[in-house]
Amino acid sequence: MEDFLTYSVILGIFVTTFKIATPLLIAATGELVAESSGILNLSLEGTMTLGAFTGFLVANETGNLWLGLVGAALGGGALGLLMAVMTATVKVNQIVAGLALNILGLGGAFFWYRSVYEEGGAVAFPTVDRFQTATIPLLSDIPAVGEVFFDQHWLTYFGILMVPATFIFLNRTKYGLELRSIGHNPEACDMRGVGIISRQYTAVIYGGVMAGLGGAYLSLAGGNQFFDDIVAGRGWIALAIVIFGNWRASWILGGSLLFGFLEATQLSLQASGVDLPYQLLLALPFLLTIVALVFNRSRSQVPLSLTIPYHRGER
Amino acid sequence: MSEQVADAPQDSPRDDHEADAGRDPLSMLFQPGAWRLERRLYTRPVYELYATLIALAVTAVIIGLLVIIVGVSPLDAFASLYEGAFGNRESALETLVQATPLILTGLCAAIAFRAGVWNIGGQGQFIAGAIGTWWVYDTFPGLPAPVLFVAMFCGAAVFGAVWATVASVLLVRYGTNEILTTVMLNFVIDSGLSWLLSGPWQANNTPYSQTERMVESAFLPRFFDGSRLHLGFALALVMAVVVHFLVRRTTLGFELRAIGVNKQAASYKGISVGAAVIAVMAISGALAGLAGAGELLGLHHRINFEFGGQAVGFTGIIIALVARLHPAGVIVVAIAFAGLLNGATQMQVGTGIPAALVDVIEGVALVLVLLAAVACRYRLRKIAPHG
Repeated sequence: MEDFLTYSVILGIFVTTFKIATPLLIAATGELVAESSGILNLSLEGTMTLGAFTGFLVANETGNLWLGLVGAALGGGALGLLMAVMTATVKVNQIVAGLALNILGLGGAFFWYRSVYEEGGAVAFPTVDRFQTATIPLLSDIPAVGEVFFDQHWLTYFGILMVPATFIFLNRTKYGLELRSIGHNPEACDMRGVGIISRQYTAVIYGGVMAGLGGAYLSLAGGNQFFDDIVAGRGWIALAIVIFGNWRASWILGGSLLFGFLEATQLSLQASGVDLPYQLLLALPFLLTIVALVFNRSRSQVPLSLTIPYHRGER
Repeated sequence: MSEQVADAPQDSPRDDHEADAGRDPLSMLFQPGAWRLERRLYTRPVYELYATLIALAVTAVIIGLLVIIVGVSPLDAFASLYEGAFGNRESALETLVQATPLILTGLCAAIAFRAGVWNIGGQGQFIAGAIGTWWVYDTFPGLPAPVLFVAMFCGAAVFGAVWATVASVLLVRYGTNEILTTVMLNFVIDSGLSWLLSGPWQANNTPYSQTERMVESAFLPRFFDGSRLHLGFALALVMAVVVHFLVRRTTLGFELRAIGVNKQAASYKGISVGAAVIAVMAISGALAGLAGAGELLGLHHRINFEFGGQAVGFTGIIIALVARLHPAGVIVVAIAFAGLLNGATQMQVGTGIPAALVDVIEGVALVLVLLAAVACRYRLRKIAPHG
């Protein structure tokens, strides 16, 4: 236990916290925008997996990681578009539609990966030269703080930046406020001539794009390859973070960092050989998600018409 | 109320406009407002069946195109898929073997979804069932065979029910979203099983994470020589009948259908929504638990780290939704999906198409069935251009 509480281990935990929080943050801020328009997109896990794959595929084929990100955004956005068609236009039950697209995203990624990279029943496990951390000059030289805050991946900075950006968009811009009004009271918006369906499409596709980028962080920055279980429940945790964060951008940042911290602590406890069954540590983030959902029962910010489809002229 | 009115034949609303509309069909068609999409007041159940079948046919076309893109003739692919699934007696029986847990997990999802309770935790409850079975087997070694079987299946049902009840109690007591809690509980029990297999239940003298093999007297009997089809299949069919009876003919069934339609109205009618939710989740979890017992006692005879690797809990959700939550439909769809799983291996060997195509088929089929279910609630109607 004494070995565990050293300076370098604790510093390592904080560095890893941000790395683990990044995909959660990117996916959860995107989902926040989607849910603000009144559409609950449950397919985050599948969308992140598909994004992780399409990002990897494009990066591997072109040798360009930035094009890979574009690929991930397109993959995630495509599923987002399907979700929008099913929920905003056809008005399928949102929970069922989300589950269906979750399965389609997972299955699509698994099949596509194998049909590209499988030779004679075995996958070659290709890798890409992943993103290096973007070291910010001067600031990264500050001891400890520099390493934690200014020597991370671009996508990590992007994720953190999306928190104030999402807040300003949803609370200070006309379009964002209209989006939230739709989430609360679509009837009133319709009467005022605010186009509901187009805004829901925008919000849900944006959520899909962000989930795709969150997935791409896992295959192009955090790791350098794609495998089936790459997302490993992070899509579901991102969904839980939106609820836990009570649909507020700032709390979503807090939630993501909390989960990142717990996971990072778990990993370094496991690495340092502290005598705890490691399975307990693996289960910990999921147990804590449940505990957090129980204890944070304030739902004051929930979009009032979340999951309720809007039919003009029906009540 | 409106549904009663609409019980009248709805296909022939011979209003005055229709005569006008018949005059010049082509110009009618291009006149704005000449055709209108309108909601049926009542959709006959048989339309839902047709819509589902059409959706599945479209799925086949889309998958065929996908197979062409991969570079294989779709006829070859489908032929080898069918050959592997139902081509001969052996493969057909093996398909039924694979359908056994899927029927039960499909029922698990169907009954919960009927009540509007989104139990996504079938996978975890399936594993809980296997754990419960092993616990009974391990704890009461001296029981005579028939008692032991009953006790093991009861153990499976209880463990599955308890694992589901964790989520339903949190839902009823604290309003915690059951979708998220059941998903989280799936991950939790995965870790729990891993701990059991590498700790207290690990077999002696092996580096693997697995239990000992069961003694043969605890194996479920099999129906035929040369096939793995075991008694669990019959149990699954019986449970489908039980679920149908429960949903259609009992008070609890009425209550769960009522809360599935409108929780508030049901509670005004005097139904205790919380109690009904807890009951339906327990039944749902017990069904998934029985699936775990069947797999353990009928096929594997030991739990190892691959148990549950087939993700039967998640496939059960797809099956329930494609079957539109009908127990009989669950049996048919589960056998069809098991055929896909079973045939996919042969397809991969024969044509080189990755067996993961099955995942895509399931996803596409589900999306299209859901869209079709909405579509059949509408109809196109000619209306007068000026009317």
